Amino acid sequence: MQLFIQQVVNGLISGSSYAVVALGYGLVFSVMRVMNMAHPDVAMLGAYSAYLVTSVLSVTILGLPTSLLVLVFLGLLLVGGITGAASGLILERLVIRPSLGKAVLVSFIATAGVGIALENGITAIFGSLPVQVPSILPTWAIVVAGIRFTPMELATLVISLAMMVGLRYYVHGTKWGLATRAIADRSDVAAACGVNTRTVSMLTMGISSAMAGVAGVTIALSQTQASPFMGLALGLKAFVCMLVGGNRHIEGILAIGLFLGVAEALISGYLSTDYRDAAAFSLMLVVLLVRPNGLFGSYPTPA
Amino acid sequence: MIFIDPYWNSVALEALVTAVTVTGLYISNSAGSLSVAHAALAGISGYIAAVLTTNFGCPFVVAVLAGACGAALAGALLSLLTSRMNLLVAGLATLAYGETAEVIAYNIDYIGGSNSFYGIPLHTTFSIALFSLVCALFVAWRFDLSRLGRAAVAVRDDPVAAAASGIRIHYVRFASFVLGAFVAGVGGALRVHYVLVVNPADLGFTFSLPLVIMWVVGGSYVFWGAALAAIALTFIPELLRFSTDLRFAVYGVLLAVIILRRPAGLIPRIPMGAIGRYFRRYFPAELKPDGAVRRAPGGPTSLKP
Repeated sequence: MQLFIQQVVNGLISGSSYAVVALGYGLVFSVMRVMNMAHPDVAMLGAYSAYLVTSVLSVTILGLPTSLLVLVFLGLLLVGGITGAASGLILERLVIRPSLGKAVLVSFIATAGVGIALENGITAIFGSLPVQVPSILPTWAIVVAGIRFTPMELATLVISLAMMVGLRYYVHGTKWGLATRAIADRSDVAAACGVNTRTVSMLTMGISSAMAGVAGVTIALSQTQASPFMGLALGLKAFVCMLVGGNRHIEGILAIGLFLGVAEALISGYLSTDYRDAAAFSLMLVVLLVRPNGLFGSYPTPA
Repeated sequence: MIFIDPYWNSVALEALVTAVTVTGLYISNSAGSLSVAHAALAGISGYIAAVLTTNFGCPFVVAVLAGACGAALAGALLSLLTSRMNLLVAGLATLAYGETAEVIAYNIDYIGGSNSFYGIPLHTTFSIALFSLVCALFVAWRFDLSRLGRAAVAVRDDPVAAAASGIRIHYVRFASFVLGAFVAGVGGALRVHYVLVVNPADLGFTFSLPLVIMWVVGGSYVFWGAALAAIALTFIPELLRFSTDLRFAVYGVLLAVIILRRPAGLIPRIPMGAIGRYFRRYFPAELKPDGAVRRAPGGPTSLKP
């Protein structure tokens, strides 16, 4: 039972990262009908921003008290978010906007090309080996009823959930969110009603990429490393979450992300790590067979 | 041997064999489906052929054909699984299928699991690869001109109209997918007999994505376009070797630029030169792959998209 709960907790933590990246896919696809395959690489850029900042500060942060380290941690999250948002906006301007209105495959391949370029560009600069990122938060474990987790893991979970609650508020509680939903429903009608689709597209790309950047920072800090190809596995899992959940429902994507994380943790805990990756894809195959438009919502597809 | 240098010889082999697989992808996708699992189909064929030649001492030709039949079977299963899905969703389901095949391959001890299957005898030479590519292109050419190929184009361009004309959509998609899987399987079986090792990772998305990229960049409307793009895109990273570190970064940027500048691929239509332009003026509008109506150059009338 102990092991079971421990695995569930571990799964929730890794699943929350899947959900954050999956939400980025879903949001961008809903608004722009673009499969942004460079999205996980934006998370990778966020992770490398954390690496850069910590390697510049490495000497000074060693002796700081915990309260200041928390400040440093929040600063790293901010840097990651800004990096993500900036790269997302550049991506929107250079790649996604020219491919709007064309076949889905065009943006798919163009963003995949950008992803390849980012991965290999980072490899060329920092090398293909993973770089070490210090764990900013203390590494002792919190033990609650026999369940162990580190402050970093707790922070990952809290930050992911907070970002999703914030996104949920943005989409369902603000004027810009209303515009976002209007474009997701019928972009032509929304544009005719005076919604500025270009601004909303930029906002969408900025927000989803900032979330990916922050997720990249939390992943880098909790794994204490970042590598150029860290986006591949993360992106594929998140992609599956988005497809299984359907692109429109934040809660649905969150639920699927957490479920997938828990399922993977349980499989690797009780069966074998070899079968862990099978969970995601067999789940996807079964769900798509039964509900071709995702569990919770339709992706009204243009192609 | 055309290339004396062993390095360029191996690059050329890779290009030719990839071109065979991409030609298979072209045939499979000609009825409008989108497959992101052809690396898995080719890899299944590669595993079968490798086991046959290595463990059972089968003749090379028999092993390649057996592997291709295995790939066709796997493709048939995949096509049946996805036949009722929306096309985009079906494409993404093929992604899941390929990844599942990869995981299964990791867990079969007989074929080495994650340690790869190795000790495969070298059989594929430059001339064999070239001959296979010619055969694959011949199959694709005859397929395009066949009843099935014409039906496939009709289904791709407008499934509703095709169905109304009496074409059995599901049959056409299934048959062309299986034929393409067979051709891709030939490519996969050839590949393992010069790489001499086959790894479960070869079945995954990271190997299927380049195939899809080659297919789209090639134009996806012309049977030799896909093969040409396969050869070009295999050679580009090698030609960029002067900057070893950045070559794949440059490759990615080039890819994005090519597809953004020419969204319908490098060779969007069969180029027929002056004669084609003359006849095309009698066909005022033609369909772009995204379904929008484009005005033909010099056409007398135009339909607004």
